[in-house]
Amino acid sequence: MVSVTSGGPGLESPTLSDSRNAGPALSLQSPERNEQRKPQVPKALAGGSAQDKYIQGLETEFKLKHLGVLCVLGWILFLHVVGIFFFTKGFLLTRMVLENKSSCDVLPFDEAATVSKKVDGCWHQKSFEKAVVIIIDALRYDFTVPFAPSAEAESAQLFHDHLPVLYETAVNTPENAFLLPFIADPPTTTLQRLKGLTTGTLPTFIDAGSNFAGTAIDEDNLVAQLRAAGKNLVQLGDDTWHALFPGYFDPDLTRAFDSFNVWDLHTVDNGVTANLLPLLHSENSTKWDVIFGHYLGVDHAGHRYGPNHQAMAAKLDEMDRVIREIMAKLDDKTLLVVMGDHGMDSKGDHGGESNDEVDAALWMYSKRGIFGRTSAETAKPPMLARDRFVPQIDLVPTLSLLLGMPIPFNNLGSPIEEAFIGPKGNDWKNVMSVNRLTSAQIKRYQREYTASRGAEDSHQSQSEDLWRAAENSWQKLPRIGRPSQATLLSVSESYKDYQRYTLQLCRSLWAKFDVPSMIQGVAVLSAGIVLLVFYARSLKADQTDITKSLLTSVGTSSAVGVVVGAFLSFSGFAEMPVVESSALLAAAGSIVGASWTILAGSAGVSLPLPSSLWGWLAVTFTITQSIGFASNSYTIWEDEILLFFLSTFGVLAGVSSMRQKSTADRVLGVYHSILFVILGRIASFSRLCREEQMPFCRSTYYASATSSTSAPWQLAVPFLVALILPTVVRSFYAGSKSYEGAATLWIGLGFRLGLFITSVFWVLEGADDGEWLPLSKETLKSVRVFLAQLVLALAFAAGTTAFIYSKPCISINVSQGNAEPESKGKNVVPPQPAGRTTVTILGFGNVHGTRYFLLVVNFCLGIILLQKPMGQGAMGLLLWQILSLLEILDTNGLVLGNSAIGPIVLALLGSFYYFKTGHQATLSSIQWETAFIPLSSVQYPWSPIVVILNTFGAQILTAIAVPLTVLWKRPLQLSDQSSSSPKSNNPSIRLLSDVVRAACTYILFFATINLATTMWAGHLRRHLMLYRIFSPRFMMGAAVLGVVDIVLIIFSVAGVRWSTLSVGEIFGW
Amino acid sequence: MASPPPSPLTTNSAASAPPDTSNKPAAPPVNILPTQLATTYSYIHPAALLSAFAARFPALVNDPVSEMAQQLPFLALAHVAYVMICLPAAGTDSAATAAATPTSPSTPTAATSSASSTTTATTTGSRTNGNVILRPGRVGRRRTKDSSSSSSSTASAIRGRVVASLLSLTLTTLLATPVLSILLILFGAPFTTHHAQTVLCAAHMAILSSLALVYVHGVDGNVWKEVWGAKRPGDVVWGGALGTCVGAWLGAVPVPLDWDRPWQAYPITLLTGAYVGFVLGSVLGRSVLFGKRVRFEEGEDVKKVD
Repeated sequence: MVSVTSGGPGLESPTLSDSRNAGPALSLQSPERNEQRKPQVPKALAGGSAQDKYIQGLETEFKLKHLGVLCVLGWILFLHVVGIFFFTKGFLLTRMVLENKSSCDVLPFDEAATVSKKVDGCWHQKSFEKAVVIIIDALRYDFTVPFAPSAEAESAQLFHDHLPVLYETAVNTPENAFLLPFIADPPTTTLQRLKGLTTGTLPTFIDAGSNFAGTAIDEDNLVAQLRAAGKNLVQLGDDTWHALFPGYFDPDLTRAFDSFNVWDLHTVDNGVTANLLPLLHSENSTKWDVIFGHYLGVDHAGHRYGPNHQAMAAKLDEMDRVIREIMAKLDDKTLLVVMGDHGMDSKGDHGGESNDEVDAALWMYSKRGIFGRTSAETAKPPMLARDRFVPQIDLVPTLSLLLGMPIPFNNLGSPIEEAFIGPKGNDWKNVMSVNRLTSAQIKRYQREYTASRGAEDSHQSQSEDLWRAAENSWQKLPRIGRPSQATLLSVSESYKDYQRYTLQLCRSLWAKFDVPSMIQGVAVLSAGIVLLVFYARSLKADQTDITKSLLTSVGTSSAVGVVVGAFLSFSGFAEMPVVESSALLAAAGSIVGASWTILAGSAGVSLPLPSSLWGWLAVTFTITQSIGFASNSYTIWEDEILLFFLSTFGVLAGVSSMRQKSTADRVLGVYHSILFVILGRIASFSRLCREEQMPFCRSTYYASATSSTSAPWQLAVPFLVALILPTVVRSFYAGSKSYEGAATLWIGLGFRLGLFITSVFWVLEGADDGEWLPLSKETLKSVRVFLAQLVLALAFAAGTTAFIYSKPCISINVSQGNAEPESKGKNVVPPQPAGRTTVTILGFGNVHGTRYFLLVVNFCLGIILLQKPMGQGAMGLLLWQILSLLEILDTNGLVLGNSAIGPIVLALLGSFYYFKTGHQATLSSIQWETAFIPLSSVQYPWSPIVVILNTFGAQILTAIAVPLTVLWKRPLQLSDQSSSSPKSNNPSIRLLSDVVRAACTYILFFATINLATTMWAGHLRRHLMLYRIFSPRFMMGAAVLGVVDIVLIIFSVAGVRWSTLSVGEIFGW
Repeated sequence: MASPPPSPLTTNSAASAPPDTSNKPAAPPVNILPTQLATTYSYIHPAALLSAFAARFPALVNDPVSEMAQQLPFLALAHVAYVMICLPAAGTDSAATAAATPTSPSTPTAATSSASSTTTATTTGSRTNGNVILRPGRVGRRRTKDSSSSSSSTASAIRGRVVASLLSLTLTTLLATPVLSILLILFGAPFTTHHAQTVLCAAHMAILSSLALVYVHGVDGNVWKEVWGAKRPGDVVWGGALGTCVGAWLGAVPVPLDWDRPWQAYPITLLTGAYVGFVLGSVLGRSVLFGKRVRFEEGEDVKKVD
């Protein structure tokens, strides 16, 4: 509050002096902040009609500059979108999951080919009734073959020659067994491998069509086919199977073991063996049809000790014994398969695509000699994994046909020759027919996939040619008599050519990252950040000054880029659609143009190095977190790290406050610093743990760890918020005597009412879940929807209107004082001749801040409605912390100091509360059900907007609050009208520049995080944890950046226009 | 010594920022006592502290709580010995302390002795330009000893130091430990579990950081205001205190990593950071950073241009 008065002292009422922003604060702050202060006078009272035109000029200038600034921000958004798009195009490989299932009755051929003779089995004569499939996790191929020194110096390692049984049997009794290298498709993680081994497809990041939440396979697969055929399946060992195939296994016989404790080498293995061997007894043979046994000991020994260790040798010895025991107990009807799902590198780890990691072993064994070799040189298993390998997906058609099952619909593998060639090695007819079946199935899949995907590329035609060639040669086979072996072989080979070509095609489409595109994206993003750093942090002139030249150069250079891009695309130089190449070149062109303006322009830049501890702190927070995203641990524990950073800021703010000279600043600063830290810590109790955080984390967000509804006590949280939050906001307004005008109505009434309705809404929601009320679900639902829409209307419709049209939160009181005219130098005597008029303006000290804050209140109300009860408490704490932060900034002189710390801490707060509102950087934590809070059915575009407001509510709210870091308690500065040049003298332009700087700094944080997560995800694209940790974090970073950009443009920076105009209307310019 | 010139030691050595002239001058940076024993021991103590910590590290990893509890008395003892031997107690015969606390001496004898030593220190301090006041200081001490009856004064001085160190130990335990425990929790230490770890870690940190501060500065309001504002000029005591806190802060870095190492358990890395930070801070504080202050703003206390 300030008193603009002809007789000042009477206004220094004692009630005001307890507040540091009461009357004298104006004169108090001035020397300590070293602000330049100009004479101030409320325009409305000054009544200088002669200056109307001048003022209008200032107002128009502000509006124009404001539009220009929005355009600059729009250009930044464009750069981000282009960068993210190009990276994503190269990185997120998608494959559509077809729901089609192969059926026993329908052969895969186009024409309704009838089966010539009745076969025992579905599509092909089956060879086995039953099967025991043993997976030895991480069974590398060189574990299974005798050691053969390839290089001179190489000597046997500890893992060599400890699992001889596979090789011995394959060599001694080739008709009973064969052993082959078994190459995995990366990523070499067990879950992805099991998918490949059962469906016969290649893994991609998003199997579009599958639901995000579950890992269960909904594609056609071998296990499902076996189950559908009525086989009784037993699974022993690694519990990953149950995540993939829930409910497929015989619950009585199946034993699953936790797969994550890599320090335990024996529990799983002993459990599998102990349960497996009894099942093989003849009296148990009718209880099961197929057993899947999954040993983990070798993998764990590798993770713990590495392959070259005694423990690995012992483990392999144990496996050798187990296999021999199983062989001994096996009957004639049963097929025994032993395989590794992937290999391991020299340190015993896996996940990537190095040879050691993908080279596994496959061994099949049967008491009945049905296997064969096609030639003498293939009689022995290859000594090196790269010699005669089969891809892992080949297991799917092989096993399907051997067991008389249809080939799963999505399969891309080929039948393994050795299994079908017959003991004499000459049954090419059989090989040809299984190859034809498989090819037909692949063809059918390809056709289906093309149909549901839409237009397809040119590669299709070549595979079509191969298929037709193979079919033609098959047609030419003599129908009567026996075709020669050579003919059959060539037909079979032509089918196989088709299969392998299609596999290659799909692999290039699905499993290959488009690295150039990723690099393009990263380059655009990096350049955007560099420009943003210079623009926001080191420009010597005001941002608004270079808007015009910046926009001109950006406009021309991007237009040139569009034209060149379109030309390149049309002329065929660039293999991209027109839109893509135009966008890329427009981005590149605008980057060049903007660099020219910003770096070489007249304004000049300095090196963007922080000049204070606060600046360094802001940089440290941003950079350390960005580096941390290279590690899965720091990504997993991001919420705790953010708390750590926020507490660090709070403590340093307290320390800095202790340095302030004014007692009021010191006391208030320390108080708010302590409050800031404590509020953050309280908020940190609201947690929703991600799987990887277990067991060191306890979820509190919902009633229990396994539910997604709130506990009854949590329903009290919204009421507490409704009770406390408006009072808290009011107290911050009252601190500067600003609880006047629109604030009383909006905060005291509107906000509180909205929060109260929200509480009622969530009680009704709880009543619905718990069936407490004798009302029908429909009634409850429609009442809820009505209440929710009411709150949203209050927050966004009424709120926005109020924000645009309301006056500043001040109270102007004109009275005839009788005090002595004792004007302080700071205050100005208004030109009224009646020298004793006293004009009291309450709320003067924070006129910009309180006016703009109304927008934050609106969004806070809307976002709170869309959060679960715990999240509402968190959002309430967030609003409180934001206010506390603003006071800290003010008491430490950081509002006008062009400090980066305010926006950066807001960004940290936004990120922190993202986790405190029940979210994690995983796709499964998206609260889709919030789309139904204000709606009863999905409606575009409202449902996605609601989900976005729920998911990124915290970042949105802090984005809205960003301008406050330069507006809160910003002293009102008016133009010096005596000066001739209005350009340098329009304080509202100064204000606008500060707002833009703060907004760009805020963007900078999320842009840096986005770039870091992008680069790490790209760099670690074959990492074990890519699918679980890095990719989701990258997607979150990109989404947050987009949302934040848009919110800043449409609401935050745009909102400054209305609040500034409103202040200018009262006080002039 | 009505108003001694505001610490020439500081103005000479503190190149970074001019002292706050608006308030009463707070104590200048503290030096190790100018005796041979103090100098020697001031090097032995940190080395011994680190070696002992390293030696007991396996035990600490094995059972943090009992090990921290067992080592706490030893740490307290060692640190009490360190401050008694190496540092000037609050309000005793140290030149620096006396200069900073003109009103603190309660007994007339102490006042006179400190006054005499003040003058020596002041004159010599300005001559030798800062931190090399070891020799002149010793002269001052010797003179003090010579002037009074040596035996009784020595005994009373020792008694005073014992009392001071015990007092500061008590204060540290009672005040600094809870404050640091709360800070640890605010920074994300578990709230509902691991209480023993938190409190013991805080106690270790309290002894490392605060004992010497309390011993040297007592409850001098100006000094503590500077401490809360992190405005103290660099010296062995403040360096150690700040180093402890910064070390513990950095010690939190490896905790979330998924290396599954037993030493990653909650207080161990923090404690290690605190010990290392204490030693580094003490060493740096008395050498390179002597007299330097932490600055928050560029050109703080100077009028901002814009």
